[in-house]
Amino acid sequence: MDALVQLSDVTKRYEDDEDPALAHVTMDVGHGEPVAVMGPSGSGKSTLLNLIAGLDRPTSGTIRVGGQQVGTLSEASAARFRRRQVGIIFQFFNLLDDMTVADNVLLPAQLAGVPAARARARLDELLIALRIEKYRNAYPARLSGGERQRVAIARALVNRPPLLLADEPTGALDTVTGDEIGALLLELNASGQTLILVTHDPALAARYSKRVIRIVDGQIEDGAPAVTPA
Amino acid sequence: MRAVRTALRGGLAGRRAQALAIGLVLLATCAASTLAAGLLADANAPFDHAFSAQHGADAILTVNAQRVSATELAATARLAGVTAATGPFAEAIVTATATVPGGPGVVQFQALTLAGRSSPGGPVDDIVLSSGHWPTATGQIVVSRDLADQGPGISLSPGQVIMLTGEPGSPKLTVVGVATSATDTADGWVLPAQITALGPPQAEQMLYRFTSAGSGAAVSADVAAVRRALPAGTVLGAGSWLTVRAQEAQNIAPTVPFLLTFGVIGLGVSVLIVINVVSGAVVAGTRRIGVLKAVGFTPAQVMSVCVLQVAVPAVTGVILGTVIANLLAAPLLGQTSRVFVVSPQSIPPWVDLAVPLAMFALAGIAALVPASRAGRLSAVQAITTGRAPRPSHGYAAHRLLSRVRVLPRPVTIGLAGPFARPGRTLVTFAVILFGAVAVTFGVGLGTSLNRVAADLALPGAGQVQLGLPGQQGPPGQAPPEPPSVVAAQEADMTGALRAQPGTLHYVTESKGQLGVTDMAGTASVTAFGGDASWIGYPLIAGHWYGDGGAIVNTAFLNATGKQVGDSFTLTGDGRSATLTITGEVFRPGNSAVVLTNLSSVAALDPAARTPQWYYVALRPGVNPQGYVNAIRTRLPTGVSQQTSTAGPLLPAISALILILSLLLITVAGLGVLNTAVLMTRERVHDLGVFKAVGMTPGQVIAMVVTTVAATGLIAGMIAVPAGIALHHAILPLMGNAAQTGFPAGIYNVYNPPELVLLALAGLVIAVASALAPASWAAQARAATALRAE
Repeated sequence: MDALVQLSDVTKRYEDDEDPALAHVTMDVGHGEPVAVMGPSGSGKSTLLNLIAGLDRPTSGTIRVGGQQVGTLSEASAARFRRRQVGIIFQFFNLLDDMTVADNVLLPAQLAGVPAARARARLDELLIALRIEKYRNAYPARLSGGERQRVAIARALVNRPPLLLADEPTGALDTVTGDEIGALLLELNASGQTLILVTHDPALAARYSKRVIRIVDGQIEDGAPAVTPA
Repeated sequence: MRAVRTALRGGLAGRRAQALAIGLVLLATCAASTLAAGLLADANAPFDHAFSAQHGADAILTVNAQRVSATELAATARLAGVTAATGPFAEAIVTATATVPGGPGVVQFQALTLAGRSSPGGPVDDIVLSSGHWPTATGQIVVSRDLADQGPGISLSPGQVIMLTGEPGSPKLTVVGVATSATDTADGWVLPAQITALGPPQAEQMLYRFTSAGSGAAVSADVAAVRRALPAGTVLGAGSWLTVRAQEAQNIAPTVPFLLTFGVIGLGVSVLIVINVVSGAVVAGTRRIGVLKAVGFTPAQVMSVCVLQVAVPAVTGVILGTVIANLLAAPLLGQTSRVFVVSPQSIPPWVDLAVPLAMFALAGIAALVPASRAGRLSAVQAITTGRAPRPSHGYAAHRLLSRVRVLPRPVTIGLAGPFARPGRTLVTFAVILFGAVAVTFGVGLGTSLNRVAADLALPGAGQVQLGLPGQQGPPGQAPPEPPSVVAAQEADMTGALRAQPGTLHYVTESKGQLGVTDMAGTASVTAFGGDASWIGYPLIAGHWYGDGGAIVNTAFLNATGKQVGDSFTLTGDGRSATLTITGEVFRPGNSAVVLTNLSSVAALDPAARTPQWYYVALRPGVNPQGYVNAIRTRLPTGVSQQTSTAGPLLPAISALILILSLLLITVAGLGVLNTAVLMTRERVHDLGVFKAVGMTPGQVIAMVVTTVAATGLIAGMIAVPAGIALHHAILPLMGNAAQTGFPAGIYNVYNPPELVLLALAGLVIAVASALAPASWAAQARAATALRAE
């Protein structure tokens, strides 16, 4: 399987005199692969996700997504990279409270300059697929946690990114709703969507991914292949 | 208390940018307010400062030196009511000329009062030397600043020589200093021996200070007492300090309306900004307040922390602001001091105390209101308040603007931003409005004053104004030369002008004082020996005179109650002439001025038949100085040259307008900066989301700038008519204070391209001020922003 995401000896330090949040991480993720990154709180999972998404820069090492060096991109290039290559789902949804569901979902398409008609068509498609079409004009504050996360997933997918990054996507949801969101992610993966799922829940990792990468104290723990088997 | 101190220390350290913003805003607003208040206070009483510091004379008596002894004069110092006296100082009235380098050649001085004093000090009328030294020998003179200032770039200074042309042998005096007398006791001071050398003194000066001299009646009573103590007929004349004070007030009066306007604008902006910054800081810290309450702080302790968190940078700001205001005031007041011919001034101590205290109190109250509200909130409420706009504010705007397809999405998001905090937006709008009004008003006023200066310089006269030697004395003064000599000089001048190839045309001017029926006193009558309409006297109303007509200034109309179209009668030499007022000419001042044809008044004033000045229009391409030099070679008896200027007051006012406008723009800019910083900080998490979904730094800048740009644009567009209205309202007040109306050209100073630029002033202030926080937002890492609370 070709690697969509490749990390080579990646280290991230927030302060020079502190231990690194990530140390010498090497891993890759193949096209269409569902991978779970697991570890306790503060282990460096979210840092890893931020680096892959180009939201932050590594202190050393290289990160490639779709063949593109992410760690050295300028802020503007990183923004353009995120529009096209990455969809991000956050634990606490990170929806914009003052925008309707439709406006939240459309935002990445509008920033990317997607023609309005095409963006609208994609919006309709996603709202129906995620079963939130009736909330199109509602504000996030009026939605349940599960509904908000569906909106966040729709927003992450609106530009059809090859890579979906999910940071504890069920962490703020009750069990039933969490299962629904997990199933939704599996459906997406089944349709060929590459998925990197960050979680501290082993059951979730086992259920929704085919490979689990364990991180402890910023380092990948042995026992699970960090590199996709050939 | 220790807990409050710890929380305060933490709050200040953790919110350095906010503390800096509060400090900077209070610094700028306090500096602007202190400066404006200081200038206003000084504008009202510069003469009083100088009079007090220099022990000005309450009365100046000129006595007949031949009829009174020194002993008799000395005895008057001991009269009841006299607190101090100095003199007698021998006095001489002289005629003089001087060649001023860089000036128009030979400058003529008529009727100069020279006083013989062995030293500048004394119990009355301390003379302050601004350059040079007091005369140490005969042949030396200290000139008054009034005499020294002969126009822009033309001044008498130490080393130059004055020739007393009216005295036997035309003695020469070297200028050794320039000085100021609060009560203008003389034009120049020499050693007593110098006066004696000119001949036996005819007059002497006695200077007095009295116990009671607060009113004209009191001074008159004091002078009468002195007069009674001296032999009858001894006192030749008496001058009152109140007369000099009134003249100084006349100079200052035009500055008061615009200083007040800028002061009110500055105060309005200051109040709004301080409230906005301080309350914004407290609101932004509401979550911290919740945490403090959660760990056990009482509402009173919470309020103390909030208020002190504002008080520390506020105290620093107002102290530094006051210092800066005083530093800025020094050159400004120095300039006005020179204009008012008084010693250098400073901001009055009460202003230095009252304004900072008021600004500090304002900041305290602005902090106290939201702090007490925060103090009353429950810990949970406080933690959840202040992180973002309250629900439902601005949502509709976001929804509507998201449908606008012609604008990029970051722009429409930015445009919806102001609706999230309508109160803050309103304050920001008002601040930009004030700033843009100040710009529009300042630009208009500056242009108007430039035009006043240009009009006073008589643009048509342009070119050259020449005079016969000895004919440029004060109106009514007899020519020093015999009539036959003058007639010969006049013929020579006319011949030279006609013979010189560069001459296009010329007209003669002579001045005199004539009586006017229905008016107390006399009018200054300028009579032209031909068509003088081309000289460029600007008209406020009506048209240039023809035969039997005259144009008059506003002071004349005010004094006579006449209007354009009415007739008036001039009297002189036992005759009278009735003229029709055809126009109102722009000649500020409280002296009545009449401009007419020589033929209309020649019979009333024989002296007017002798031209004092020749206004010469030159052919295109002729160099004025080269022309004058050529005329001089043709006239062996010499020729005088003069330049019409607007005087030193207008440049001083223009400098004040510029500085006050810049200060107000800076303060308004700081207000916008604060709004942009608060909005950016409050939405920092949203910024992280925007970046996470692909917003580029350029788009972030566009969004943040747009948040205030629309407010700025609208404020700017409203500010233009408001500023113009202010300009049109204040200018007549300044004119009234200067006893004049203005020609239409002084009012109509805004041209369409300038109006467009001025309408954009609000936008420019907003965008320029928001760029820094926008850049900060653009550069912030998405991951960092997402972690922010």
